[in-house]
Parts: sequence; C-alpha cells; structure tokens
Amino acid sequence: MRTRTSSLLLMLPALVLLATVFLYPLLRYGWLSLQASSVLTGLLPVPNGGANWLRLLDDARFWTDAGQTLRFALCSVALELVGGLALALLLHRPLRGRGPLRALTLLPWALPTTVMALGWRWILNDPHGPINGAIRSLGGTSYGFLSTPATTWFFVVLADVWKTMPFVALLLLAGLQTIPADLEEALRLEGASRVQILRRLTLPLLLPYLSLALLFRLAQSLGVFDLIQVLSGGGPAGTTESLALYAYLNAMRFLDFGYASTVMLATFLLLVVALGGGWLLLRRGGIARATERPA
Amino acid sequence: MSTASGAGLELRQLCREVGERLLLDRLDLHVAPGECVALLGPSGCGKSTTLRLVAGLDPASGGQVLLDGEDLSERGPGERQVAMVFQSYALYPHLSVEGNLGLGLKVRGMAARERQRRIDATLDLLQLGELRHRRPAQLSGGQRQRVALARALLREPRIVLLDEPMSNLDAQLREELRPELRRLLCGREQPVMYVTHDQQEAVGMADRIALLEAGRLQQVGSPRELYTNPANRFVASFLGRPAINLLALEPGRQLGLRPEHLHLSEDGAVAARLLRREWWGHQQLLWLDSQWGTLRVLTAPETPTPREPRLSWQRQHELWFDPQSGARLAP
Amino acid sequence: MAARPFFTSLRRQPVVVGLLVVLLLVLLPAFGLKGIQAIAAEPVPIRVLMPAPLADAVAGPVARFNASGSGVAVQVIRGPLDTETISDLAISSLLLGEAPFDLLLVDVSWLAKYVAAGWFLPLERWFGPEILAAMEPGARLGNGLGDHLWRMPLTGDTGLLYWRSDLMDRPPRDTAELVAISRDLQRRGRVRWGYLWQGRQYEGLSCVMVEMLQAFGARWWDDATATTVLDSPGAVAAASWLDALLRDGVSPKAVANFAENDALQSFAAGEAAFLRNWPYAWREIEKGEGPVTGKVGVTTMVGAPGEQGGGTLGTWGLSLIKGSPHPEEAVAVIRWLTGPVVQRQLALEQGYAPTWSRLYDDPELQRRAPLLAVQRQALQHPQLRPLTPAYAQLSDLLARQVNGMLTGQDGPGQTMATAQRQSQQVLRSVAGTPDRAPRIP
Repeated sequence: MRTRTSSLLLMLPALVLLATVFLYPLLRYGWLSLQASSVLTGLLPVPNGGANWLRLLDDARFWTDAGQTLRFALCSVALELVGGLALALLLHRPLRGRGPLRALTLLPWALPTTVMALGWRWILNDPHGPINGAIRSLGGTSYGFLSTPATTWFFVVLADVWKTMPFVALLLLAGLQTIPADLEEALRLEGASRVQILRRLTLPLLLPYLSLALLFRLAQSLGVFDLIQVLSGGGPAGTTESLALYAYLNAMRFLDFGYASTVMLATFLLLVVALGGGWLLLRRGGIARATERPA
Repeated sequence: MSTASGAGLELRQLCREVGERLLLDRLDLHVAPGECVALLGPSGCGKSTTLRLVAGLDPASGGQVLLDGEDLSERGPGERQVAMVFQSYALYPHLSVEGNLGLGLKVRGMAARERQRRIDATLDLLQLGELRHRRPAQLSGGQRQRVALARALLREPRIVLLDEPMSNLDAQLREELRPELRRLLCGREQPVMYVTHDQQEAVGMADRIALLEAGRLQQVGSPRELYTNPANRFVASFLGRPAINLLALEPGRQLGLRPEHLHLSEDGAVAARLLRREWWGHQQLLWLDSQWGTLRVLTAPETPTPREPRLSWQRQHELWFDPQSGARLAP
Repeated sequence: MAARPFFTSLRRQPVVVGLLVVLLLVLLPAFGLKGIQAIAAEPVPIRVLMPAPLADAVAGPVARFNASGSGVAVQVIRGPLDTETISDLAISSLLLGEAPFDLLLVDVSWLAKYVAAGWFLPLERWFGPEILAAMEPGARLGNGLGDHLWRMPLTGDTGLLYWRSDLMDRPPRDTAELVAISRDLQRRGRVRWGYLWQGRQYEGLSCVMVEMLQAFGARWWDDATATTVLDSPGAVAAASWLDALLRDGVSPKAVANFAENDALQSFAAGEAAFLRNWPYAWREIEKGEGPVTGKVGVTTMVGAPGEQGGGTLGTWGLSLIKGSPHPEEAVAVIRWLTGPVVQRQLALEQGYAPTWSRLYDDPELQRRAPLLAVQRQALQHPQLRPLTPAYAQLSDLLARQVNGMLTGQDGPGQTMATAQRQSQQVLRSVAGTPDRAPRIP
C-alpha cells in the first residue's frame, strides 16, 4: 500500500501537467463542439443539440480533407523513413568530417517551418522564382507549380520530406549507434553481404526506432498545418487542404468556433484511431520482441 | 607472392598502423593445425589487433596471413572461413538460440533441412537443446558463451579465433569451463588463436603462448619454456604470480629470482626482515624487507619464520637481465 | 554615468533651471517656429487596406489627394492579390483587436460576416439616403444590413456575357438561344466550343450559380425566412442546364476546372462563341492582337425563356473600422475615394464600373469606356450573393456539390438536394437553436 500511494504521489505532478495541457483543452473542445459559437451568436456559446456533429458527418469538405491529410501523411512519412534510413546509414559510416556533415544535414530540421515554406514558395514562384528562371533561361515558359493540384501536392510532400527527413535520420542514427559493432562484424564473418546485414540484422534491431519515428511522424503529419498554410494555403481549390487547416479556417476565416472545435476534436479522434491502428500493426509485426535487449 | 609452406596458420611480418600509431609491429607467428596458441599480454599490446587482422575485420598495413600456405590477405572477412567468438559474444539479440546459430548458414544460402540438421547436432554437442527457443537476453553469462561457441563451431571453420571469451564470466565459472572449452576446441583440425590477458587462462588453454607487448612479440613457446627460460625481463615479470623479484645486485646486471626459488636459512647471503605474511593454505607468501628492496618469498605453509631470517638461492635459478633494455644476459 | 551628477546638481538649482526655460522660450520663436508649424500641420494618417490591383489602380488619385493639402495623408496598404487571402489577413488583425488600418476595402461577399463580428462603424451618420439614391440600383445593394449602412461602394462590377460579333449578328436573348446558337456554330465547324464559364470548385462557380438560379427564376437565399432554398424546381433546372452544357458538348468538360482566367484565355484564343466573365476581361481581350480582338460584344447575362437574367454583383466598397482613431478624417477619405473623380479614373483606366448614375451620362466616359452602357444595364437587375455571415461556408459547399455534378458524381436533382440539406445543417450548427434562423444583429 505504501509504495502504491507514494508512487501515485510521485506521479501527481506529471498527471496534473498532463491534465492541464492535454485533458483540459480536449474537454473544452468537446464542450464547445456541442455549442454554436460564431459571429451569428455573437461568439457566445449556444447549445445546438449536436448540430455540429451531424454537420460534420455530412461535410464533404471534412471527409475530402481527411482523405487528403491521410494521403499526405502516408506518402511523406514513407518517404521520410526510407530517405531518413538511407541518410542515417550514410552518416553512421566512418567518414571524414562526419561531425560537421551531421550538423549540416540537420539544418533543414532546425529551420522554422514557416521560414522553410516561404523559401519553397519563393523557389516555386511563377514567374520570378529560381526554378522558373532556370526554365526560362533554357528557353521554356514559366510554370505555375503552385497553381496545379498535382505539382502543388508534390512540392508540399517534398518540402515536408526535405524538412523532417533529417529528424528521422537523426533518430535512426541514434538507434544505429546502440547496435554494437561486433554484431555486424560477427555476421560479416559468417559471410553476409551488406544488404543481408541490413535486412537480417540492422533493420530488425532498428525496428523500435523505426516504429518510434513512424508513430511520431505520423502523428505530426496528420496534424500538418503551418507548412500547408504557408506553402499552398490549402490550394489550389482545396486540393492540399489538411484537417488542421480546415479547423483553423473554420475559426479564423468563418469565425465559427463551435464547428472549429468539432473539426479539431474529430481530427484528434481520427489521429488516435490511425495511430492506434499503426501501433497494433507494429506490435503484431514483432516490435515487442525486438525491443527486448540483453541487459 | 605466397610461398607455400607448412599447414596451419602463418602470420608473416604482419603490421597494423593507424595514423601515427603502430599497433602491431612485424608479427611472425605460426599456429599448427589443431594447435591452440594463446595471445597474451596487457591491454593495448596488439593481441586483439592480431585477431582482427586474421579475421579480416581490419586491413593490415603490411605482411601476410597464410592458411595452409594460401594467402588470405586479399579476402574479405566473409571469405576466410574464420569463426570468431567475441568478448561480448555478439549474439543477435532479436533471434532465438536456434536463430543465432542458423543466421550465418541462412545468409550463405544453406537449405533449411541441412541447416536444421547442423543446428541440432551442434546444440546436442554443447548440450544446449533445452535453450534452443530462448533469446540471448534470457540466458545466463555461461549459457551465452556456449551459444557463441556453438555458433563458431557450427560452420566448421578453417580457423577459430577467440577474443577474451571468458572475461565476462566470474572466476569460478572460468575455471570450470576451461576443460570443456579445450575439449571442444582442441584436437580438431583447425588452428586456434585465443586472446586473453589472464596468464592462468593462457596456461590452462594453450599449447603455446605468444606474449606481446606494445605491438611486439616478446616470446613464443610452451608455458614451461616461457616460465623457465624467459627471453627478457618483461616475459619474466609478466608470467608467474607472485611476480619475480628483481635485485640490482651488481652494477650493469639485474638479478631475477622467482619467489619460490628463495629459501629461508640460517646462513643465507642476504639479511631480511619480515614485513607481512599471506597465508594461502597450500603455500604462504612472505613479504620481506632487505637491502635490495621488498622481496617476495613463497614457502610451504607451515615453515617457521624467524623475525630476522636470511635468504639463499640456487645458482641455477638465477635469471640475469640488462637493467636498461631488460634483455636477458648470460649468467 | 557622467551625466547623472550634472542632472542631480541641476535639480538643486532652481534658478539655473528657470533661466534655461526662459532661454528656450526666447530662442524658440527665432529658430523653432518653422518646426512647430510643421508639427501642427502634420497630416492625419489614414491607412487603407486594399488588394494589390485596386491599390495600384487608385495610386495616382491618392498621390494627388495627399498633395492637395487637405490635412489627411492616405496610406494605401497593398494587400495580397487573392480576395480570400486579404480577408484572412484583415480578420487576423481584427481578431487581435487593433487593426493597423482605418479603412478596409470590402468585397460584397464578406460584408455580413464582418458586420456580425462588430468590426465596422455604421456610416449613415455621414452618408444619408440621398447619397445612395444617386447611384445605380445594383450599386446600392450589399452595403446596408439591418438598419445601418456599413459600406460605401467603390466599384459596380457584375458578371457579363461576352459574345463573338464575327459569328453572330446579335447576342442571344435567353439561355435556349445561347445553346441553339452554340450548337449551330459548332455543327458548322465555325467554333470548337459554345460557352465557356467558371466550373472549378471555388467562389467563381458560386457566382455562376447565382446567375443561373436567377436565370431560372430560382433563388439561393430567402431573406424572409433567412434560409437557403436550393432544392426548388427552378434551382434543379438551373443545375440541370449547366450539367447539360457539359454533357451535350456545348461547354468542354475542362470547364469543371476553369477559373476566370482559364475561360478567358480559351475564349481569347477563339475557341468559343460565348464567355461568362467580369468586366476586366474586355480589356484583356482588346489590348492585344489576338484572334478575337475587335470581334467581341458584351451583354448582360441571359435568363431562361421568359425569365429576367442578371449578373452576380462583385462590388468593392470601403468600410470604416471600429476603433479608428480618426473616424472623421477616415470618412473624408471614404467620401473622396468613392467619389466621382476616383471612380471616373478607375472606369477610364481599369474598366471598373462606376456606381454613380451621373458618371454613366458623362459623354467622355461613354466614348472612352465602351462597356459603360452594358454595365449600367447590368446594374438594373443585379444578383446578390446571400447576405449571411455564414456565406463562405454555404458557398463552399454549393461550389463543391455543383463541381461534383460537373465531374459526374451526382445528377442535378441529387446535387441540389444534398446542397440544401448540407446548407441547413451548416445554418443550424452556426446559428445555435435548430429552429431559429440566423439573423444579423
């Protein structure tokens, strides 16, 4: 009993913190999602009998955005994991000037997203950006990269991958460094090729780190906001709009805070479902076994 | 360029240099088939370096590694048919005992049936059958060591290398395991190289000992040879516990006398005073103060000790060294 | 550190301080009078946030106004080009409480939301009913809400129908004729497409829908009940007509992805007989040496046979931000910027439709702005987008549904029924009690 009470006491500050930064906003969103709170109600909450949730179920924009958000998250996270792994393996090898190189690769991650997105906007600007400048100097005509859905989507994903791949790489690099070098040497002595070592040894041992990166990045990219807000504004014609951006627009553009809370909460619920599903999948894929390491 | 010579493992003028540091300096060593040679020396002496060069894990800066007259220098570690037991055992943490044994065979494309047959045979040999589904984390230190050994033997290597295989075990277990290790390793066809910093282990395991210091081979020979006829002062003082007494008896010459070769007597040449007595059961170690400094003397446990004994020795036990270079001098 | 002993000792010497003050007073008239005058005459700064194209269009008149010595300095803030982006910008600063501007150029479709949010000051104190009476009917719409006047209109643009004078003698009188002429010309191979318009999922499609609903005698918004009526037979007929344009090949399938400029470029390349666009398109067509330059006529939007057509109002006007430190001066700027001098210049240089009736009678303007007559005609039967604070959401869902229909997702009946159902849900969710319709405070 004593240890139970004292352990609860020890956890209390963390629980209080969690409740204030996490639970309170959630409850607040939950309550607000049952109210009309817009310019029409003078921004005062007026209970509207669940009309926000009924609206959400029938809101084509919400579901379109949900699909777009999921597609964005899956594509960019997949690319980040593959690219990040490649980068981590490269940085893990003994290279001359590895230290500065590692710092350099981390640079995009250190850059604030808005600054980075503005940079991409300038690069892609039609007709003044450097890419269009190059196209024109080669005799072509400038192209509105951010005016067509396909290219806009591509560059939104690219910008996200560019920015967060270093983070994934760093995380995986940390993972690689926990793998004792003699394991690889033992397998090399047994005649394994580089690819075999990667497949049979490195990847299984990296699995906890890969799953961590996957879940972490999935959570982040399902909530993507600032990158899209600055780079494409969700356009053209809403084709790159994410759920977080839609929630933001409901508040800031439509001045409808009740529905904005509903969208926010629904986004959170979808995120929990997606991450929970991902976690279960990973568990079944053997992450639990791989996390057991000799003491 | 390899000139065929005898069977077994032969190292010729093997060097390893990293930057300015010379880790191994022109090592010549021969290990006959079925012979176990211990590489002994303090840490940093180049013994592990030698092992890694033989395995091909590090590139040599010069010299050759020959196996049955065949030059291995150009071959990668996977092509040398070398088995190695690492100090950490290097067991794959994500695989069961069976998986650890099987992975090497798998990457070389051995059929599943043949693989299983070999795994079973090796597990039987090492009496590991009951642990076959355990993961390394669920094994004791001794069990891990045996799995590592099993993995090394399983692939029927042409050379066996062991890098401090017992340093992670407690002293008692180490002693217990020595005979078994010898049974499993020696008397086979392969040359065995055994790296250790523990002279007891080296004496217990090896047919011959190669003693290294600062990247240089000091002496190679049977334990008896090294003990009774050390090539220099380093060999003399590294081997033997308690350590040899060194007395500056004459200018330009240093006398080495092992503690068991000093006797207490009424009419000894050297006067001494008893400082301390360590009683070991089968022997006792006396610490004595003399005009040549502190001396160690081993005697039978019940030998009576006067407070101011005199010491004597036999001429045949005298080992003379150059005080500067440590080189052995003629008596 | 060295200064402190000096000041402390100075404080203990009232005589010295007094002398210094006297000296200053004596010297000031000699050296400082000019400076003081300049401070007194420092003009009151009035900042106006405008989208960049309009800011550029008024730059000349604003420079002359500032030079006229009226005691007010107009500073035009060039906002983003995109209508929605500039509204977002304005809202973010208004939500923060202190807007860095006194006047905002407001699109007719935002007005209800801003008014409901309480960000504007009513203008009827300064602009009586007689002032609006001097404007064309269409220009008077979309400025007042409730019992107040919230905006003074600067431009009176409406949607217009462009037609090829080289392919026909006169413009079509109704929707049926438009389709008949198109199909006839297409059949004879004179032109590839009949009618080009804006079908992309964005505000432009909502503007097209406003016109089509009017053309078929239907409405989007019922002011009396303050709710949408998108499932009326007329509304379904309007959607069906647009749907049929694509299915029958009068309009290309690509129209479903056309915004104003896409349609304009295709029309300017001579690919179609008719175009729906804003007045700016005229200058774009006429300024170059394109295949249809000089071969284009402009008319008001057509209705279905027996119905009165009308163009969607796309007017801009100036509103006064609540909390402006200089409302009187700001109103003076509104009065001048929306006055005939600036409007005349905008009509001459940019082709914007004026709001003042008497400008339409100006002979020089008539001569140099060839669209003037049509623009005036269009302002007689203009169509307003729903004046509700929830307009942005309603417009988004309607454009989404209609675009879905154009890309083959649903039939017109289903499309309009869904749009109506979703609109009701939005209104219930936004306004609070399920049965109370949203009202402007």
